[in-house]
Amino acid sequence: MSRHDEHRVNLIRRHSTLEIVEHWAIALSGLVLIATGLFELPIATRYYITDLPGMAWAGDFIVSLKIHYAASAVFVAASLFHVIYHCLHGHTAMLPKKGDLKASVSVIMAFFVRGEEPPFHKYLPEQRLAYAGMAFVIAGLILSGLLKTYMNVYAPDMSITLVMWATWVHNIFFVLFVLAFVAHMAAIAIKPNRPLVRSIFTGHVRLDYARSRHPLWIEEMHLEQPAQGDLQNKEGEEAQQSSSAREEDREAGGDEAGERAPDDTG
Amino acid sequence: MGDDMKRGLSRRALLKTAMTAAFAAGLGLPGSAANAAAGSVATLIDLSRCDGCPDRDIPACVQACREKNSGNVPEPIRPIPEVFPRGGIEDFSDKKHLTTRLTPYNYLFIHKAEVEHGGKRWTLSIPRRCMHCDNPACATLCPFAANHKHRTGAVVIDSEICFGGAKCRTVCPWSIPQRQSGVGVYLHIAPTLAGNGAMFKCDLCHDRLLKGENPVCADACPRDAMLVGSRSEISAEARKRAAEMGGFLYGMEENGGTATVYVSPVPFTKIDAALEKGPGRPHMAPVQRRMAGADSWGKSVLLAPVVGLTAGILAVAGALKEPAVGRKEEDRKK
Repeated sequence: MSRHDEHRVNLIRRHSTLEIVEHWAIALSGLVLIATGLFELPIATRYYITDLPGMAWAGDFIVSLKIHYAASAVFVAASLFHVIYHCLHGHTAMLPKKGDLKASVSVIMAFFVRGEEPPFHKYLPEQRLAYAGMAFVIAGLILSGLLKTYMNVYAPDMSITLVMWATWVHNIFFVLFVLAFVAHMAAIAIKPNRPLVRSIFTGHVRLDYARSRHPLWIEEMHLEQPAQGDLQNKEGEEAQQSSSAREEDREAGGDEAGERAPDDTG
Repeated sequence: MGDDMKRGLSRRALLKTAMTAAFAAGLGLPGSAANAAAGSVATLIDLSRCDGCPDRDIPACVQACREKNSGNVPEPIRPIPEVFPRGGIEDFSDKKHLTTRLTPYNYLFIHKAEVEHGGKRWTLSIPRRCMHCDNPACATLCPFAANHKHRTGAVVIDSEICFGGAKCRTVCPWSIPQRQSGVGVYLHIAPTLAGNGAMFKCDLCHDRLLKGENPVCADACPRDAMLVGSRSEISAEARKRAAEMGGFLYGMEENGGTATVYVSPVPFTKIDAALEKGPGRPHMAPVQRRMAGADSWGKSVLLAPVVGLTAGILAVAGALKEPAVGRKEEDRKK
């Protein structure tokens, strides 16, 4: 077996292709929304952003608004798709569980004072809490943004009280969204979490990493889907099989099964 | 492989159907905010009647407006904080007497124009102030909701919460709002880094409109050059007067419609060409509503929840069907 094959078989699917698309649709449109949202403040000209190559448009509030709208359409559609799709499938792995707050404190303490981490499910307890927090912030941004958009297009004389609420919720949640983004980047910069990063690009994490840090997830998968191809190298001894046989196996159903099963069982 | 392809195609078809259905549903959305101003107040300014009050130092409407709004602008702090990094303080506190342009202390002025038309020389006196647009970008785009279009038809800046970024002036086709630096809420936050004062303009005497009274400028006019009424009354009267004098209208269609209609015996293209224009002295050229180009994008945002939810439901429905298809295929093989 070549080193390339060894590397390929030591993988486990953590995210389906659909989830990767959802994540990047929300993340990239969210970044565009942050930038164009900032440009709706009169800062681009004042702070010479318009002098940067290719950034002259940033000083035109209506051009920024059009881009903000376009990104919002993607952001809102992807977020609502995410909610309804995973609700109907009964996916609960990302939802906070009882005791997550306490567990998060001990995980963070373990990182800073070099203590022992508890065994994890598919997601870390602080990831589940962060997911709930981000969902709350995104919900606030979407609701207030939809109201502001409705006002812009149809009802400029909407009740001032409603407009004031929508505007300030949007502004405050914008700040929270930026903070959440910064926290998200900080979390993936932390060394123990780095092996997780590849899965948001490729869908897979290293099997040895998953076994050592997420044994509860591996256990749950065995209980739920013992015969499926989610574990691309289910056990170490199977690595003795020929790589071509495994390739066929994976193509026959491994990836497709992986899209459905591991996230669902959480 | 064939089944995989079928499955893929069928999934794509489902998503396509979902998108089509959502956008088709969106066709039922109303087209614009054209009727938003239906119950609001409008004003008609008849340029065949206004003579600019030649017998007075200050025209009656301008004087009445200044008296009503004299206490609006607080005294700016000294020194007014420098604006980082570009500078650009705007201070009219030592020019409070100016009545020949719009300033933070003067919301209405008489714009003079000498025009040749129909073989005759016309000296026109044009009361200029905020047009109070039907769908004003200055209000809807204010990042702090400090500027708002009220049901009365008045577009009102709340200078107490305005940061003076002058975005409203930038997006106003006539650059009406005027900034006074050194006043307002920005002084309590980060005066050199964010904001630069507060914006001021005509509020169509919103407080008086709420009480069923006219704006003071209209009541003060000795020649009844300003008429106040409902939108439909003013539109009808404007058209009638224009027809009678063989005249022209301005403000009915400008920027998507406004609550201020000028009727003139002289074409506005000639008036605009004759006006002295510059800061605080707006043009009278035709104006397209720039925000109209963003409305279709806004409508797509309003439809996005329907698209997302429909696509999600269809994707789940498609995924749930797949095992059944797979089983049938296996049964057939057996």
